[in-house]
Amino acid sequence: MRLSDPIELEALRAVLAQGPAPVRRLWVCGGPGCLAAGAGRVQEALQAAAGEMGLAASVEYRTDLTGCLGLCERGPLVGVEPEGFLYGRVGPGDAMELVAETLLAGRLVGRLAADPDLPAGSDQPFYRPQTRLVMRRFGRVRPDSLEDYLASGGYAALGLALAGLSPGEVSRRVEESGLRGRGGGGFPAGRKWASCREAKGPAKYVVANGDEGDPGAFMNRSLMEGDPFSIIEGLTLGAYAIGAGKGFIYVRHEYPLSVERLGLAIGEAVSRGLLGPDILGSGFSLDLETVEGGGAFVCGESTSLMASIEGREGQPRVKYVRSTEKGLWDCPTLLQNVETWANVPPIVERGPDWFRSLGSDRNPGTKVFSLVGQVRRSGLVEMPLGSPIRAIVKDVGGGARPGRRLKAVQTGGPSGGCLPDGALDLPLDFDSLTAAGAIMGSGGLIVMDDLSCMVDVARYFTGFLMGESCGKCAPCREGLVLIHRILDGLCRGHGRRGDAAELSRLADMLSRTALCGLGQSAANPLLSTLRHFGEEYREHEEEGFCRSGRCQGLFQPLIDPEACTGCGASQKVCPAGAVRGAGKKPREVDAAGCVSCGACLQACRFGAAKAVPRPGRG
Amino acid sequence: MGKDTKKVSGTIDGRETSVPRGSILLRAALDLGIGVPTLCHHPGLPPDGNCRLCSAETGGRLVASCLYPLRDDGFVVQTRSPLVVEARRFVLGLLLSRAPADGYLLGLAGEYGAKADPRLADGADGCVRCGRCLRACRAAGSEAIALVGRGWGRKVAGPFYEPPIDCVGCLACAQACPTGAIAFSEEPRSIWGRDFGLARCGSCGAILGTPGELARSGVEVTLCPSCRRREYSRAVASLPPAQS
Ligand SMILES: Cc1cc2nc3c(=O)[nH]c(=O)nc-3n(C[C@H](O)[C@H](O)[C@H](O)COP(=O)(O)O)c2cc1C
Ligand code: SF4
Ligand code: FES
Repeated sequence: MRLSDPIELEALRAVLAQGPAPVRRLWVCGGPGCLAAGAGRVQEALQAAAGEMGLAASVEYRTDLTGCLGLCERGPLVGVEPEGFLYGRVGPGDAMELVAETLLAGRLVGRLAADPDLPAGSDQPFYRPQTRLVMRRFGRVRPDSLEDYLASGGYAALGLALAGLSPGEVSRRVEESGLRGRGGGGFPAGRKWASCREAKGPAKYVVANGDEGDPGAFMNRSLMEGDPFSIIEGLTLGAYAIGAGKGFIYVRHEYPLSVERLGLAIGEAVSRGLLGPDILGSGFSLDLETVEGGGAFVCGESTSLMASIEGREGQPRVKYVRSTEKGLWDCPTLLQNVETWANVPPIVERGPDWFRSLGSDRNPGTKVFSLVGQVRRSGLVEMPLGSPIRAIVKDVGGGARPGRRLKAVQTGGPSGGCLPDGALDLPLDFDSLTAAGAIMGSGGLIVMDDLSCMVDVARYFTGFLMGESCGKCAPCREGLVLIHRILDGLCRGHGRRGDAAELSRLADMLSRTALCGLGQSAANPLLSTLRHFGEEYREHEEEGFCRSGRCQGLFQPLIDPEACTGCGASQKVCPAGAVRGAGKKPREVDAAGCVSCGACLQACRFGAAKAVPRPGRG
Repeated sequence: MGKDTKKVSGTIDGRETSVPRGSILLRAALDLGIGVPTLCHHPGLPPDGNCRLCSAETGGRLVASCLYPLRDDGFVVQTRSPLVVEARRFVLGLLLSRAPADGYLLGLAGEYGAKADPRLADGADGCVRCGRCLRACRAAGSEAIALVGRGWGRKVAGPFYEPPIDCVGCLACAQACPTGAIAFSEEPRSIWGRDFGLARCGSCGAILGTPGELARSGVEVTLCPSCRRREYSRAVASLPPAQS
């Protein structure tokens, strides 16, 4: 049924919010990690088990899929409402027990607790430091249900706006909130809104960037799949503010579920009169559609993305005029990342002061991060901006794995930078990261320990970007190959004197001369490692030594007899049989047989195996 | 980027100038007699800004002068600052590694102290991927070739790397190529692995073009321009004198 005005919307929201609440609910995590780990089958098994107990159509006892619960590494996860239990590594075989014990009786199944000591999710160190704003509906609603969205406060902002806020007032709230773009650059959203509002053109557009090209990233995907309506409501408010009648959500085509969820959500919203023609009887209309991207990393860059929406080859264009003036089809276009859009409804509803109370002064609000790498707990994390890096790496993530020392935190995706452990007190915000040579990017955080070689890391990211360079401009097309070859030489022990100096010159020039953001930021991994880990470059170049035991042939393992417990782990993994010793006695490496592969270093959980220079090198 | 009637003033290499708002920096510099090296730019083709050789400095950053519009009053542009010189040295080194024997690039490389890095020697196929050829092809009315692939592997080719079926053999691409990287023969006509017949002037036998090229132009031609002129004057001369 179409809602014909904001009053009807309010009435429906009130009914839904007071509707019969389930007594208990099992929320199966439907985030990308858990789905990959088999959450779909777990949900089916739970449904079947509930059916067997006669609860198939129950309103009181439900099991549903929801958005990402965050602790992805322990997936498939199941959350319990209202008790707050969090189960991890749940399999379809656990379904009967979960339904009988937890769903019906409200008892904890201890063996399935994600953390046996702290069974309630919100108590766990992983969750405690977090502030969930963008992810507030994950684990609380069914992402594909407009009713759940409405019942949980959704469309309150649009109702408010159409009932009495002028477009200028909506824009003013976003401008004064200090919201900054979550897609990478941290550009003040309000400035784009204001400039787009003032710009003149035959048409105006709003666009959501859901391309998320960073390898391994899934923040935006989790959002598009976990709360699609929040993005749509944000876009609707944006369109109202600037006077756009048409909008696009650009999603990479590797995300079929995102495309499907957004498409269904758009359909639902239209059928309720919350989108499409004459929204809530206000006379304001917005036609919204999803566009599937080609999947190239560079398609996330604004000019490529727009070319791709226009149906041209997704390639960057030199632009010295902003898209807020001349974007899609040379018309004023408001492009924001999907997470930026999802922040808009609560800002419009609750006001800029409320938003500014979260996060820090110049960086208000929260940011979703994907925390991965050599850390004890990994997953999707939402923190107030300005939290020290330590809070996320140590408190949420639990720090380095046993026997290892934290070496670096890589932020910002492939064109981000590596910060040393000394930077743990740095606030996680756009400006501090940039000043330290890293970037916020879309929120990737990779923790690296002492077995990660920083030259190798630079080589890895440069290699990724080299493969993604569109090849249009000379600096990026040719320069990245040259940089990659020099890095590769260093990692293989073919370094030449002057390589590091040459790299630093090339990196600087590439950043300054490349045509688009890809090339301009492609040297960040190199520049940041040169800046913070210059000694490792010097060792590779001058001594042919890799202290991290990563670059094969550039080190030799040495087992410290004091620290070795004689567990034998290194001996088991050595492919050359070069680790000697037996029983509980400390092991020794036979240098002559060692192939310098580093397997023993990786295997040792006590930090007893170390990389030392090979005799005769340097 | 429409120019408008408003004028903006500023300096290029310290010299005052005033130009219509939106004028392209390269044009403005050339009008002052300031030379700026270019490669992917061709005055008769739409600009693309991909070689970065024409980089100039303004407000502490580098811009491609072949595309940069002068929009604000008080602009200050340097086309020869130390940063610009270093950028050109960098870009020239990279371009040179693709076309190490090109005279124009070698000349500039001498001027800027640039050298090709031997570590990129395997890329030296003569083509600098500036795309002037495809822009020329388009301007002439075809779309036979494209830059296909991405990154380092990007190269000019026909669809599926086959001899391009839409090529009419007009040689516009080869004429637009700054490094002479496109192999072709004028007579007998061949390019991109394809051979073409040649239509000749019905009177003197001079080459009129390939049949496809003539068809593309849409006008029927059987004579070369000079024979046509001659025929025309003859026809005029043989007309009966006008009645007065
Ligand atoms: C190579 C490259 C890739 C990018 N990829 C993305 C992306 O996947 N998602 C995104 O939102 N922004 C991406 N951006 C940034 C966009 O160009 C643009 O700045 C952003 O979408 C604007 O939205 P925001 O201000 O809300 O962040 C990319 C930029 C570059 C240079
Ligand atoms: S910087 Fe890289 S990705 Fe961007 S236009 Fe140049 S070659 Fe293409
Ligand atoms: S001449 Fe301007 S970028 Fe090539």
